[in-house]
Amino acid sequence: MSVTVNEPQDNARAAGPAPVADTRGVSNRLSSTKLAGKMVKEYWDRLFTARERDAHVVWYNGAALNPIFEAAGLEWCHGEAFGARLAAMHLEGPAQLAAEEHGYIGELCSYARTHLGCAVLTNRNDSDVSADMSVVDVIDQETLASRLPAPDIFVNAYAGCSTGQQWDQATYRIFDRQIPFFKVSYPTLWGNQPDAGYLTGQEWDEASQFVAKELHGVIAFIEEQTGRKVDMDRLRESMRCIKRASELRLEAMDLCKTAPTPATYWDWIASIAPINFLPGNQALVDYFTAVKAEVQERVEQNISALPNERYRLYFDGIMNWNKLGWLADKFASHDCAVLCGRYTHNAFWQEPQLIDEDDPILGMAQHYLLCPTNHGFKTLQHLTNKDCVDFGIDGVVFHSTRTCRAFTGPQQILARTVQRELGLQTMFFEGDVADASFYNDEILESRLEAMLEAIDVRRLQG
Amino acid sequence: MSGFRESLVRLTEVATDPYGYAAEWKRTHGRKVIGVLPMNFPLDLLHATGALPVILQESASPITGGRGLLPEFYCGYTRSLADQADSGELDVFDAFMCVDHCISLLGAYDGIRFTLPSRPAPLTQFVASMDEMWSYPSVRGRVDQLRDQAEDFLGVTISPDDLSRSIRAFNRDRQLLRRLYDLRRAGHTELTPTTMQTLVKSSMVMDIEEHTATLSEMIDALAEDRSGRGERIPVHLSGHFCHAPKPELLDLIEECGAVVVDDDLYTGFRHISTDVPEDGDPFDALVRWYFDRNVKVPDATRAQNDVSWDQWLLDSVEQSGAAGVIVLMAKFCEPHMLYYPELRKALDTSQVPNLLIETEHEGLAIEVVRTRVEAFVERIRHQAKPLVATA
Repeated sequence: MSVTVNEPQDNARAAGPAPVADTRGVSNRLSSTKLAGKMVKEYWDRLFTARERDAHVVWYNGAALNPIFEAAGLEWCHGEAFGARLAAMHLEGPAQLAAEEHGYIGELCSYARTHLGCAVLTNRNDSDVSADMSVVDVIDQETLASRLPAPDIFVNAYAGCSTGQQWDQATYRIFDRQIPFFKVSYPTLWGNQPDAGYLTGQEWDEASQFVAKELHGVIAFIEEQTGRKVDMDRLRESMRCIKRASELRLEAMDLCKTAPTPATYWDWIASIAPINFLPGNQALVDYFTAVKAEVQERVEQNISALPNERYRLYFDGIMNWNKLGWLADKFASHDCAVLCGRYTHNAFWQEPQLIDEDDPILGMAQHYLLCPTNHGFKTLQHLTNKDCVDFGIDGVVFHSTRTCRAFTGPQQILARTVQRELGLQTMFFEGDVADASFYNDEILESRLEAMLEAIDVRRLQG
Repeated sequence: MSGFRESLVRLTEVATDPYGYAAEWKRTHGRKVIGVLPMNFPLDLLHATGALPVILQESASPITGGRGLLPEFYCGYTRSLADQADSGELDVFDAFMCVDHCISLLGAYDGIRFTLPSRPAPLTQFVASMDEMWSYPSVRGRVDQLRDQAEDFLGVTISPDDLSRSIRAFNRDRQLLRRLYDLRRAGHTELTPTTMQTLVKSSMVMDIEEHTATLSEMIDALAEDRSGRGERIPVHLSGHFCHAPKPELLDLIEECGAVVVDDDLYTGFRHISTDVPEDGDPFDALVRWYFDRNVKVPDATRAQNDVSWDQWLLDSVEQSGAAGVIVLMAKFCEPHMLYYPELRKALDTSQVPNLLIETEHEGLAIEVVRTRVEAFVERIRHQAKPLVATA
């Protein structure tokens, strides 16, 4: 196990009854990540005024194609990101109501439902709102959900989940099939051949080349639509900054192998938006420089993220954006340091060494293929086991995300294999990515307590 | 020669116990049986190897062990597949193959692979976006990969002549099935929706030459039908991807005063809609078939900007004379959930009455559905004959 332990607090992980302290439930979150909120808000506020500035807007889903859009002088709207933002702010209601009214069923991916609802509201705003007899009233329509500028271009780039492409096809139809639409298709990294593995094998090489070719197609498509060349120097500069930001992010996350950990999964969740869709520039590098510096400082000064870290957990599944702060407090209240997860640690430019700053297209294509829902279970098993060992994990929490078939499909197999191969305790709790109605707090509470008791018993048994 | 009913009994046996048929075929022929996942796999290619390709069907068994492989919010079909792997129902198959990229289907496929690790289970993904300049060459490359995979684990070589023969055999069967669809559209009352499902479902399972022979006998024995549809309301059944709706649901729809005159169900017209071209290179022809069939009967799992299932449905309804559309949607089927509002909007705009019925693997609330279908039928009837004459 490659966990680095700080001696003064090593006994924090010893088995035994949890200390009764006033500090339970208080998570010492990184202060440097607060800047992310400001950066992200400024990004969206600027996007909302795109029409007033005569800017061209692209709507896209899936992979982080934003460096290409940035180099093309476009303003970009990532549908999932906006859905996540609405859910995190508890403002998803009007969009989901508009989607329901349009005919989308409540079991559909709630990212898709939220974003399609935004599309319905945006399309309505382009026509006469006052004449509309919608159940989404005018007050609701004036909320954040309806502020997206209508797109000039659609680009679909969804790896792993088939719903992504179908969802964008539905958005295209909501806008009456009038807006130019380009689709990037990704081969699933299934592992057909004996030499197939993570970042290796013929399948990986062929898929990388195929997607790289498609990205050149995206560039040609955008140039045709905008009538101007994509600035490749700007793309290289953007990718240089993203690569550096990614390195810093990974270095900071790596420092959390220390026990007790200086930062948690929830801090990395707070940093997803910057690495996922903010412009690739020096501000992005500065942000992750500050985050890493704070984590490093905590390590040096033996400052931990939790006052009494007793359990180290892995979180599998996509984020429950409605319950972000709630879940952070919930796990902290049980002295559980959630350290890492598939969503944070196996996504978002997580292999920066693949990026050639002089010719970044292939490395970009490879990252798009590395979406954590684009692997067969064998690779996921490899990645999960590795993180569990590297971070000294005691148990795995599976967020059984009701409307996300992409993340949940392999979860039960992963649970079996981490139990069998690593002897770890696991638990499932129900929730959703952007629909709070699927969350059940009592189930989480009782299953978490049961898992922690099982971990305690195992420790006592040596 | 067998009569219509005798042949139907034979095909019903196969449709009811598809894996029993596969096991018996394997025993008597001494050749391999390949389980194929829906909906776009070119069965013709596997047939050319001498193996028996069988499209995996939903099992009637309740889902038990499969709950340990897939969550409850996957569609009933994929949960059933996982359960079949867990329970040993899939043991008859020597390998599995799949070309469709559906996230739920791949979840089940991973479950099969995990449970039966010694069986080959490659994914040879056909690109689902039909519009891009590389879509066609990409699928062409995948057909070559399918050929390599099949040759590899079956230990045979597929010659162009072998494949051409198989294509002709499947086309012949599809053509006979479409002839029966024409007869149903023309009003033949013996061709109930349950019968049509049996005919198509058995074609997904049986040795195709045997199926064609049985089908030919049925058609020859099919008596001319002059009874007419009477006062029953003609409807079109739409949707239900990947697997067959329960026969009792189809029976119920007709018991409520409707008569099914057409469909675009997967275990229906969608599956047999399109022939593989018989000219040119037969491996190329499989690619042309893949693209052709999304135009012939558009599919919500494919993305194609210039094709609309909604418009296709309106045209189809007009041609068949259906007075309403019943959409059958397998619960949790994401492509169908995403497309449904477009269908509803098109049908509403054209004033075609429509009804959505969600289906599940277990727990079909038959009396609730009966009430809804009866109300739907009465609504259409009264639209045709208003209770109070308008001025």
